[in-house]
Amino acid sequence: MTATMQPQMEAAKAPRRGRRAPGAGVTTRSRGRGLEFGHWWWALPGIALVFAIHYVATGVGGFFAFTNWTGIGAFKVTGWVNFEAIFKDPTKVGALSNTLFLAFGSVLLGNIAGLVIALGLNRVIKTRYVLRTLFFMPVVLSPLATAYIWKYIFDFDGPLNAFLTAIGAGDQAKPWLADPQWAIWTVLVVLVWSSTGFAMVIFMAGLAGVPVEVEEAAAIDGANLWQRFRNVTLPAIRPAVAIATTLGIVQGLRVFDPIMALTGGGPAGATETLATQVYKQAFALGNFGGGAALALVLAAIILFFAVIQQRLTRSNPED
Amino acid sequence: MTQHRRSSRLKAAAFAIPTIAALALTGCSASAGGSDSSGGSKEFSLSFATSNTIESPFQVLAEKYMEANPDVKITFNPQPNDSYDQTLRTQLQAGNASDIVVTSPGSGQGRSILPLAEAGFLEPLDDTAKELLPEGSAGTFGPDGRVFGQATAITVSALVTNEGAVKEAGEFPADFEALEEQCKTLESSGKSLFALAGAAPPNTGLTAMSLAASRVYAQDPKWNDKRAAKEVTFAGSEGWKSALEAVNTLKDAGCFQKGAAGAGFDAITKGLASGTALAGFIPATSWKQLQSATAGSEFGVRALPAEEGSGKDFLYASANYAFSINAASKNKEAAKAFLAWAAEPEQTKAFAEIDGALPVSGLDSYDFEGGAYKNVGDLIKDGKYGPLPNIQWPNSAVYDALATGVQGIITGQKTPDQVLQAMDAAWG
Repeated sequence: MTATMQPQMEAAKAPRRGRRAPGAGVTTRSRGRGLEFGHWWWALPGIALVFAIHYVATGVGGFFAFTNWTGIGAFKVTGWVNFEAIFKDPTKVGALSNTLFLAFGSVLLGNIAGLVIALGLNRVIKTRYVLRTLFFMPVVLSPLATAYIWKYIFDFDGPLNAFLTAIGAGDQAKPWLADPQWAIWTVLVVLVWSSTGFAMVIFMAGLAGVPVEVEEAAAIDGANLWQRFRNVTLPAIRPAVAIATTLGIVQGLRVFDPIMALTGGGPAGATETLATQVYKQAFALGNFGGGAALALVLAAIILFFAVIQQRLTRSNPED
Repeated sequence: MTQHRRSSRLKAAAFAIPTIAALALTGCSASAGGSDSSGGSKEFSLSFATSNTIESPFQVLAEKYMEANPDVKITFNPQPNDSYDQTLRTQLQAGNASDIVVTSPGSGQGRSILPLAEAGFLEPLDDTAKELLPEGSAGTFGPDGRVFGQATAITVSALVTNEGAVKEAGEFPADFEALEEQCKTLESSGKSLFALAGAAPPNTGLTAMSLAASRVYAQDPKWNDKRAAKEVTFAGSEGWKSALEAVNTLKDAGCFQKGAAGAGFDAITKGLASGTALAGFIPATSWKQLQSATAGSEFGVRALPAEEGSGKDFLYASANYAFSINAASKNKEAAKAFLAWAAEPEQTKAFAEIDGALPVSGLDSYDFEGGAYKNVGDLIKDGKYGPLPNIQWPNSAVYDALATGVQGIITGQKTPDQVLQAMDAAWG
């Protein structure tokens, strides 16, 4: 790593040396201008758009969190009433707990599965390119479309129960997505299935940067498979772990469409998350103020966990 | 350098030509679609919700109007039923909603007339619309004695039955106790009396309201008014408690198909069409769609039997949909002309036939014999019916609390008392 970095640094310093050399000023200046392609103000339209579409819209939405607006007509500023209502309502508290369970559950299981697959498909297997594509496919497919396929699989008259009946376990057949105990786990299975491929790709990118020589040296020194993974591979792919887990948590906290398609938040709120509650409150039940307040809470939670996650997994504590 | 410049120009042209073309096309279509015609245009647009592939009765009626008036052009804006309310509200606020929009009376839904009228998005209608108001429902079509929606038909909300399957099972139960017995018999033969979409809140809510018909509204048709005046509560109502306890009774008696808690509307369609279920709690107009989709089967409408000896058979029949005119419309005259035409007895009868509903006018002289409504004709003639309760509820959260609560009762997550308390909390 150091060996490859050195020439680049020297190359970057070369014009500075050249500038000091007598008679080389003209050439150096023209090169310098060539490197200064672009001006900061070229970004202004983009900044303005991001500001207007993203931050102003979010700010206006945030304002409505402090009102009783129903989504139509006049409204009154009600202060923190909507936020108080969130923490007094057991459905919302349940949604918060489901959100955290699904986010952390899908990150943990999805990343472990993704890492195992990435390690397995890293170098050895001949069909690894085909398998990589197959494992990555769920990330490319529409979450809504695949959720409907999963819904069919978990349906009471669906293939899963038919399989259980066929192997003589018919007494275990149940409406998986409407069972208060099983529904949340069923949703978790679908989320893990859809997030594994993404984690796998990030880990494969990380594994590509692990020098084979170091692994070989560790093996020659007598390190077994687990020791090589624990002391050589894992420290080397730590940035990949940070990226995969952070993105996974952000994605997991705001998951919406698979749950709406699978259970709609049911049975009786058993799989409700903050995102589905935001939609229901704001757009289905005419409580736009309450929905906006929930959205703010969700944004704060995402920010909190994203920052914590970044701090825990950064490779250099001084970063 | 010259080559570079040429390629840059080519690139610029490659981006610019389609962009300009797109802008030009957008401009063209905008001017063609623009219907600013305050000078007496006969062109207007119509928004309505669709939930299946069968042509909407609103569209069929409007097409009939265009046939009768060749100089009129109606632009149809159908929207999926599950997103119709939100789309309608967004378009009304943005000022680009259709000239005529299909609304619902009351304030219990996103498309309900009262909040939209109070926010100033709907145009007050004239006496023609007033004359079509079903008895006792004036307050749900507009505040302060004004009318903002023209009722289109009377929709019965009761049971839709597969008459062939009913005959095969013997007779349809006459009271609730006989119903429980029939449930057990049917369950042992692998069938069910009811097909329930337990995961679809509109169906679970309608099921509970149907159970409340004989237990609450038959005894006290003004119960909603009393709730609004805070004289009664859901949690304190014996009738409502009995209605939700009846959900458990039906479940325990095996009245619902297996896996009902997680089923969607397709379970009802499949169950009723195949005859594995005898009845479903769905809007009565569905009999026509089921009959047209299932050749050789006969479907009908029946009331849910009341408890033995109570004599409280009751059903819901009300105008659940209305035509309203967008207050920001630039084609109000053309829209009003359509509404006047749609209010004619000939058209109300035609619309009811297309929709499979009952006509909004002339119900007293309606011939129930021989039709899908023959089993509820006597109840309607005797006036043993009232409006769908949630039309009079103040917001959609009350119905949501009931609908999700019923699913919770079926799965054992909630008790009737908890559901009723949640409904009171949602009422506000």
